[in-house]
Amino acid sequence: MSERDLDALLENCTQCGLCREVCIVETLGAHSITSLLCGEEQYSSWLCSSCWRCQEVCPQGVDIHAIIMEKRREEEPPPGHEANLVNVLRSGYALPVDSGVNLSRTFHGLEPVQLIPAKWVEILLQGREGGKTRG
Amino acid sequence: MFPGCLVLQRMPQYEKATKRVLTELDIHLENIPHAACCGAPLESFTDRWLHLAAYNLALAERLGRDVLTLCGNCTNTLLRAQAALDEPALRSDVNETLDEIGLRFEGRTTVKHLVELLTDYVEDLREKVTRKLSLRVAVTHPCQAFRPHEISSFDDPLQPQAMRRIVGLTGAEVVDYDAEFDCCGSTLYLADEGLGLEAGRRKLASAAQADVLVDACGNCQLLLERLRPGMGGGAGTGRMVVLTLPQLLGLAMGIDPGELGIGPASARELSRRSS
Repeated sequence: MSERDLDALLENCTQCGLCREVCIVETLGAHSITSLLCGEEQYSSWLCSSCWRCQEVCPQGVDIHAIIMEKRREEEPPPGHEANLVNVLRSGYALPVDSGVNLSRTFHGLEPVQLIPAKWVEILLQGREGGKTRG
Repeated sequence: MFPGCLVLQRMPQYEKATKRVLTELDIHLENIPHAACCGAPLESFTDRWLHLAAYNLALAERLGRDVLTLCGNCTNTLLRAQAALDEPALRSDVNETLDEIGLRFEGRTTVKHLVELLTDYVEDLREKVTRKLSLRVAVTHPCQAFRPHEISSFDDPLQPQAMRRIVGLTGAEVVDYDAEFDCCGSTLYLADEGLGLEAGRRKLASAAQADVLVDACGNCQLLLERLRPGMGGGAGTGRMVVLTLPQLLGLAMGIDPGELGIGPASARELSRRSS
């Protein structure tokens, strides 16, 4: 994200710090995007519980979620997020689907999973732009 | 129903209890055949998350069914996708892709999280409670299902109350605790296991006075119940029973714990605590 794009998203931010006050990551002593919003340099856009509380309390209506998503595309992802990405691109699901899934579902009286066809995953996630997606 | 990856593949108990309890309300659910991930894990990497979300919604449209979600993250993602796809150029782009697999997104379906659906049926639920629960229950809310308020307006986005009201119908005492409205930390666990577990430990410790902690999200259940052993115990984290909302409701309807996916050890502990 360019400085100009970030500035545009932050146009209405007054650095009041309310977002940081309600952030669970900050409560636990680490630094989330809310630290960046408060002018700090030490933070990670990946340290976020996706609870949306920061955006909900923001009196200025700053789209903090959009800032996180933009920043994440610049910063190295943690292995857990990368693994989920790879799984979705490969199978259409965040978790690997194995035979144990349907055994467990059957045990509980539930119908087996009807998976998305692999070809559809390819069409949906690669599509005309082919291979643009990381992972 | 759209259980989402986690519930579909790892938490049949939550899906089973939901279906069992809703049958009592004469609501009969079918899983959307061929549904995929909601799209949330893609959003941090690519805008194609919208294609996956739209695909799931289009499948439901084709069935002529509304979408019931069990997870806060899926709810949030599908609702935001629906709102984003109001934009004509984006919708047209997505539909061009969906057309290749014979689908079309028209925004005709309604997405509701389980807590919202149960809120719609609160009077019917009241009639179905046959066994008042003598338990102290702490509630943890599926935070992403209530936010952002622009797309999800059925409850207070910062201090949601709907789930407290539903639990109140069971006769259980709903207890207040400091970390009630804090996120459980489950999504954080993906980025930093230590921080995620610490968020969960903090929540469980804060709710330690309760007999049961009840959640309504696969992510909450994953962290607070399945990953609890990794929190190192102490401060009450190892003692209370963690149930999903339909499991607790089912008990109050007199349904056998086994039919709700509640294991024998938890069932015994619940019985001991309520006597």
